[in-house]
Amino acid sequence: MTVDTSNVSGGAGTKAKGFLTWEKQEHLVKLAILILAAVLSFATRLFSVLRFESVIHEFDPYFNYRTTRFLAEQGFYKFHNWFDDRAWYPLGRIIGGTIYPGLMVTSAALYRLMWMLNVTIDIRNVCVFLAPFFSSLTTLVTYALTKEIHSTGAGLVAAALISIVPGYISRSVAGSYDNEGIAIFCMLFTYYLWIKAVKTGTIFWSAMSALAYFYMVSSWGGYVFLINLIPLHVLALMITGRFSHRIYIAYSTLYCVGTILSMQISFVGFQPIQSSEHMLALGVFGLCQIHAFVDYLRSRMPKDHFDLLFKTLVSSVVSLVLIVGTLLTLTGKVSPWTGRFYSLLDPSYAKNHIPIIASVSEHQPTSWSSFYFDLQILVFLFPAGLYCCFSRLTDSNIFIILYGVTSIYFAGVMVRLMLVLAPVMCVLSGIAISHLLAKYIKCVDTSSSKAATESKRQHKKLEQQSGGVKSEVAIGFVSIITLMLIVYTFHCTWVTSEAYSSPSIVLSARSHDGGRIIFDDFREAYYWLQMNTPENARIMSWWDYGYQITAMANRTILVDNNTWNNTHISRVGQAMASSEEKAYEIMRELDVDYVLVIFGGLTGYSSDDINKFLWMVRIGGSTDRGAHIKEKDYYAANGEFRVDKEGSPTLLNCLMYKMCYYRFGQMYTEGGKAQGYDRVRASEIGNKDFELDVLEEAYTTEHWLVRIYKVKDLPNRGV
Amino acid sequence: MWILYHVAIAYLILNVTHAEIINKNVERTLDLTSQLAKTTYKISVEDTAGKALKDYVFVVKEPNLSFISVKDGFSNKVKYEEKKGLANDQTEFKLTFASVSPQQNLVIETVSTKNILPHPAEIKQNDKQLVKFVGGLYLYSKYSTNTQKTNVMLSSSNILSHTQAKPYSVSSNKLAFGPYENIAPLSEDELVIHYENQSPFLTVNSLDRSIEVSHWGNIAVKESIEMTHTGAKLKGSFSRYDFQKDGRSGQSAVKSYKTYLPASASGVYYRDTNGNISTSNMHFMRDFVDLELRPRFPLFGGWKTQYTLGYNVPSYEYLFSSGNNYVLKMHLIDHIHDNMSIEKAVVTVILPEGSANIELITPYSIKRHQNDLIYTYLDTVGRPVITFSKQNLVENHISEFTLKYTFSKVSLLQEPLLVIGFIYMIFIFTIVLLRLDFSITYHSHKE
Repeated sequence: MTVDTSNVSGGAGTKAKGFLTWEKQEHLVKLAILILAAVLSFATRLFSVLRFESVIHEFDPYFNYRTTRFLAEQGFYKFHNWFDDRAWYPLGRIIGGTIYPGLMVTSAALYRLMWMLNVTIDIRNVCVFLAPFFSSLTTLVTYALTKEIHSTGAGLVAAALISIVPGYISRSVAGSYDNEGIAIFCMLFTYYLWIKAVKTGTIFWSAMSALAYFYMVSSWGGYVFLINLIPLHVLALMITGRFSHRIYIAYSTLYCVGTILSMQISFVGFQPIQSSEHMLALGVFGLCQIHAFVDYLRSRMPKDHFDLLFKTLVSSVVSLVLIVGTLLTLTGKVSPWTGRFYSLLDPSYAKNHIPIIASVSEHQPTSWSSFYFDLQILVFLFPAGLYCCFSRLTDSNIFIILYGVTSIYFAGVMVRLMLVLAPVMCVLSGIAISHLLAKYIKCVDTSSSKAATESKRQHKKLEQQSGGVKSEVAIGFVSIITLMLIVYTFHCTWVTSEAYSSPSIVLSARSHDGGRIIFDDFREAYYWLQMNTPENARIMSWWDYGYQITAMANRTILVDNNTWNNTHISRVGQAMASSEEKAYEIMRELDVDYVLVIFGGLTGYSSDDINKFLWMVRIGGSTDRGAHIKEKDYYAANGEFRVDKEGSPTLLNCLMYKMCYYRFGQMYTEGGKAQGYDRVRASEIGNKDFELDVLEEAYTTEHWLVRIYKVKDLPNRGV
Repeated sequence: MWILYHVAIAYLILNVTHAEIINKNVERTLDLTSQLAKTTYKISVEDTAGKALKDYVFVVKEPNLSFISVKDGFSNKVKYEEKKGLANDQTEFKLTFASVSPQQNLVIETVSTKNILPHPAEIKQNDKQLVKFVGGLYLYSKYSTNTQKTNVMLSSSNILSHTQAKPYSVSSNKLAFGPYENIAPLSEDELVIHYENQSPFLTVNSLDRSIEVSHWGNIAVKESIEMTHTGAKLKGSFSRYDFQKDGRSGQSAVKSYKTYLPASASGVYYRDTNGNISTSNMHFMRDFVDLELRPRFPLFGGWKTQYTLGYNVPSYEYLFSSGNNYVLKMHLIDHIHDNMSIEKAVVTVILPEGSANIELITPYSIKRHQNDLIYTYLDTVGRPVITFSKQNLVENHISEFTLKYTFSKVSLLQEPLLVIGFIYMIFIFTIVLLRLDFSITYHSHKE
């Protein structure tokens, strides 16, 4: 990164020497910076591979990995028709029609291509390294986008910035095999082509951007942001009186082709013309036609005739749209606004209405500190970049302003959407830095290197633009900017290595003597399941672990991270929250063979099932059949959630508690504490001596992180 | 017993021709300390008629015989031929002595699998693993035997019961039966021992060993192993608490075992379908690498696991050449754990592209599969693959096979040339492309 910044500042001052002309040198420097940035963005994401191994991270990526493997082995048609009986027992899930296949198709295509060239790479490695690879592409596309919007220099700075921005790295480290990894590339690529289309007004570029939009739709649900932002841009251009034939061609082509293409994705289906999230795009499309028609009329009519016609036309169209819209909404043709979208507009909506959305940590509102953590100096440079854009308003600048402003709002609503904000932050900061440096660095140059022999053209240019800033001021300013960039580099590297490079499937901790302890309990348990349970065994666990169990243990599960059926999840929550006898009824009803719980009390792993337990209670109690489960029953008398003697008796006797703490009461966990001391909750457990009636311990991992119980069969009669 | 004796005598009269050969003295040692039944026979054979002995028929009345080695009194190998078409529990060998004399000494070693079985077949976690061995009390022979003795070595002194055929003696973990005098030919009697055996009962269900030879100086070995604990099955629940706190709990469970790799092994990996198994230790010894493998979970009775172990060895230790002729000498199978028992092994040898005239020489009979071709990095015509398999293998089968083939040294340059050519083509293509104008319209401003 330091190399990059010096190159950026040096870009203007490189001396022409010998055989290379000025243009060729510039080209070389540009190419060098871009390649460096692309390589850097790949390399910085490899921390986890080097520190641990080439392994898939987290939860969702395991599902993507499993489906990719299926696609690579069985081919696209089998994949498209895939009915997965390993998940959502006994309902099953149609995979082909309920996912965005872009990610899987991309990696399977890459895999096939490599095998065709006799590069016999493992599909797992394709998946692991896909996100870093696409980040490299993102770096290049950011350069292209910023170059279109502002200048080459800004493009280079933006490329360098985005290559290491933590907000984006958090979702694209090696092994984090998720939709977002390629979606950001698709999004920026669509934007770039859109800007191109707006600038040139050719059908070619807008058709290209429609294709890029199709790729985006196929890979991430976040395409909705894109299909609202582009119409918004068009709308803003209309309002500011910048509407022209170029825009008309660009948007009409993009909307028509893009919408038809997006409807080919079976998960999207008819949503682009039915759901209210897509209505802005449709409305703007109509408006475009009207605007173009009105422009046509205006050019052919006297002014007073036109004014009369315009007024009647506007009022009738507005009322017609309103009536049709209401009718469609009432009849259910236009689907009501979905919960996830509401939570974008009103951050407290989900918390109050849908516990299953609120329970996911990445759906929480963003805290102020995480803005700084993920973006660092970009937070301060962002307004400066906005100012630069405002000061020289163009069609494309308006787009980036709109993108910046809307995404900063969405990022504030949901942590996850920090990802959408990060690229625009880089673009705008790139513009700001490049703008400021370009202004000041020339003054530094003229004062310091007067004696040097320079090409005539450069000299002339410099004198023209030196704008009367004193050399000392300029030096001071440039060094401050350089310092900021250096600090940014260190911050990004530190954040990447400390916060975002843990695979979460393998945990590591420091021992007392400074050595590293590896907790590999998850894979231990999943592998045990795969090896030592019957092929068709059904495993009940909280939905977080669903994807991992199907992918790593290859066993049937009841609920997983695709939380499409709230009642089913609620039923599992009820089983966990009930007493043993009641839970047994539910487990018999659901045909459960094994139950898996995550327990961190011995090691101090805090995101275990006891800490998630209140969500199970809430979700369990949110349906009719779970009406008897009330959250307040699980709190102690003083309203706290505690597992020690003062905890509520309902909690101390529920299935989850018993499964987690079975025989834990005899364990010494920490020096100087009593037996059964829970290191996460920092208290001695309240219910120690109990036996399980309907379950038996089938396996517990080395550090007790995962505990698996077998559901006993009904007792024989007369025994 | 008496009836049997009479029958035997009647048999003797009928087979007068055979009666000339007798087993003068037989000493048997049964090693039952592990999961394998290892037997050593020391037999003195004599021809009572004073004729020179040429052939001798040796019968192993044991199911699942895995390995046999026959030597004479001077530790020279004795040729033997297996008689085909017999039932599984009986194997017959026709031995041919090298030197002809009326008196011969034989030292025969056999190893058989699956003859020591857990009894009871299911135990709880804290129980001890008890096993039962069923074998023959006498040497099963076509000839009559003058005297014979059997010494049995057990894994522990905890012997629950054994066949009470007098004379016998017990001292700690050793049992001695005999001497028994004048045993008629083909006499059988059961020897049953029920005792405690906590040694690991691990069976390798399948071993997939692939050896990839590169002429650039490296041989990559990859072994995919499926393993089951075939001892007494775990009954009821598994308790991690007991397993961690109580040293006597789960003694028959296998927590770890040692695999010995060649001394020059490097780049060792130990993984399964879920990734690297982080629990293993490696110690470099003088003439081997000691790899302590811990499966992801302790293996209790009936539990199984699968993993892949791979490493590289330099090719100069195993690959010899003269001109275009190459000879590869490597272990057919390698050590997996002590007293291992492999149900089925498939060995695959991948030779460099362009190898021809392949000839395989193995130390024992194997089943050869069809040759194949595989395509991997920078291949054009594919690499020849030689596959062969064998069932029921034990440690004694670790010995070298020889693979002869020819390979032209010039074709070693094929792969680098391919890369160079490819890059060259890209450059040429770019140079040409940049100098072409594909536009339909004519631009007046271009020079």
